Amino acid sequence: MLQYIELSLKNLAYQRMRALLTLLGVIIGITAVISMVSIGTGMTKAIEEQFEAFGTNKIIISSTMEFGAKGRGLVDADVDDMEDIVGVAFVSPMYSVSTGSEFKGEEKVITVWGLDPGKAERTFSDVGGYRLYRGRWLEPGDRNVVVIGYTVHDDYFRSRVELGNNIKIQGEKFRVVGIFAETGDPDHDKSVMVNLDRIRELLGREDSVTAIIVRVKDGADVNIVRQRIEERLKNRHEDAEFTILTSQQLIEAISSSLKVVQVVFGGIAAVSLVVGGIGIANTMVMNVMERTREIGIMKATGATNSQVMRIFLVESGIFGLVGGTIGIFFGYLISRAINAAAEKYLGPGMLTTAVTPDMVATALVFSVCVGVISGLYPAYRAVKLDPVEALRA
Amino acid sequence: MDVVRLQDVEKVYTMGKVKVPALRGVSLSIEKGEYVSIMGPSGSGKSTLMNMIGALDRPTRGKVFVEGRDISRMSDDALARLRRENIGFIFQQFNLIPRLTALENVELPMWYAGVPKVKRVRRAAELLRLVGLGDRLRHRPAELSGGQMQRVCIARALANNPDIIMADEPTGNLDTKSGEDIISILEDLNRQGRTIIMVTHEEEFARRAERTIYIRDGKIVS
Repeated sequence: MLQYIELSLKNLAYQRMRALLTLLGVIIGITAVISMVSIGTGMTKAIEEQFEAFGTNKIIISSTMEFGAKGRGLVDADVDDMEDIVGVAFVSPMYSVSTGSEFKGEEKVITVWGLDPGKAERTFSDVGGYRLYRGRWLEPGDRNVVVIGYTVHDDYFRSRVELGNNIKIQGEKFRVVGIFAETGDPDHDKSVMVNLDRIRELLGREDSVTAIIVRVKDGADVNIVRQRIEERLKNRHEDAEFTILTSQQLIEAISSSLKVVQVVFGGIAAVSLVVGGIGIANTMVMNVMERTREIGIMKATGATNSQVMRIFLVESGIFGLVGGTIGIFFGYLISRAINAAAEKYLGPGMLTTAVTPDMVATALVFSVCVGVISGLYPAYRAVKLDPVEALRA
Repeated sequence: MDVVRLQDVEKVYTMGKVKVPALRGVSLSIEKGEYVSIMGPSGSGKSTLMNMIGALDRPTRGKVFVEGRDISRMSDDALARLRRENIGFIFQQFNLIPRLTALENVELPMWYAGVPKVKRVRRAAELLRLVGLGDRLRHRPAELSGGQMQRVCIARALANNPDIIMADEPTGNLDTKSGEDIISILEDLNRQGRTIIMVTHEEEFARRAERTIYIRDGKIVS
């Protein structure tokens, strides 16, 4: 085998320019595959990490009732029910709404999260990214105060919103007592937290809840608690009125949809690799045609068909191997560059692309296969040449 | 003992719908160690005859025995092995591989035969010295004169130490002096006991062989 490789390298070196152009096709293909897949992997990891930070011990029940629809949706009584369920550590009701707000005469729509002030910190402080930048969390007894997301503080309104400023929500003044640090999620950064009862009061929906976050006791089985909650809710509601998701389910759902993204990314890149393979096939067919006489010489001087076959297959395989190796290198560089860019523009740890040994090995095997497969037809043509005819060429 | 024997060999080439007979019933035998020249006008079938004797092609009818083996029944690979071990080819066009050095060109038949590299290189260098190219081992064909290329070709033909040397117009592309050199190398090889079969146009060289076979219209005329 080594001898075949030596001979092939001589052949490739003899036609440097053509070999280089052919390699370029494979290089671009593999570079694309490696960088695309590494971005995909990085995205998956980033999102999974975010959700894992949310903890696997939570159950989220959300109302599927449209605002203003008939039917009851989730209500305070459901929250009370859940507090009695075995295995539940605590229950935090939420009411979220997009509503008008005003700051220094400027009116904007804003997402308001109504929370039980006594539970806000417990519910969200262990959620990834929810750290205070300034001020304090909501506290029991707070009524007309608000804790704002970083973007709301920074540039949502024309002028910065600082601690102690007042924002009007639903026409009422709320004093800013806390500012969250950036979470990386633009929707969260653009929302504000207020007292649950106060916002419901202003909206005239005293009893409604849009979501309930249940934290499961340590050691309790999340899925069993989920079932108990479901049974309890069914006493009062139709199936269609609510959905229950454990954080595990959420992570699984997200990562499976990310897999799709990865496959699509990889698929697009693979197309370019196929084009690279066609380039190899084209070069090899030209090689065989140009070297017809040489193939005649090879056969006259005693090369068997399988040797001729191997010579051409090794040659095209080497296109794949060399192109693959260089492509992996460039793909790695691109992946690093994307990392650097992501860190600069999205913040540290938001998107960490990764080129794993698995990916390298797969890419190498794949590129050699592309090379060899592309060489099959040209090599077959070489084998089929009649020595007498070939010598006459 | 016959190294080559042809029995009523016919060869018909099919070009589209037209059948062109190239050999029409040729019988001949060549003894081991003989020096035979084959003459005939172009289109007479002498190249086809060479291809038969050299196990490059199979007959349409009749039998061709090379070293006692019937080539009409052998597979492509068996023929390749037969050529590799028993027949050395010398061509009018030299047919060297342009990107390989003289040494590497001579190595090739041994490469196909699976001779290890060290042994291969040693023998190739030895053969090139034998034909007077000891100082041209690393030269590529383009850097050699016609006479030198033909000597590389002879060294290559000898690589696997075959009994039969097939020379197809070996002096056709050479000046008189180089042609003379090549013929005398062939004569030396014959004296060492190798069978030399040479197709040539040149009456003078043909006459130096022990026997001349004349072919015309696909038949041996004398």
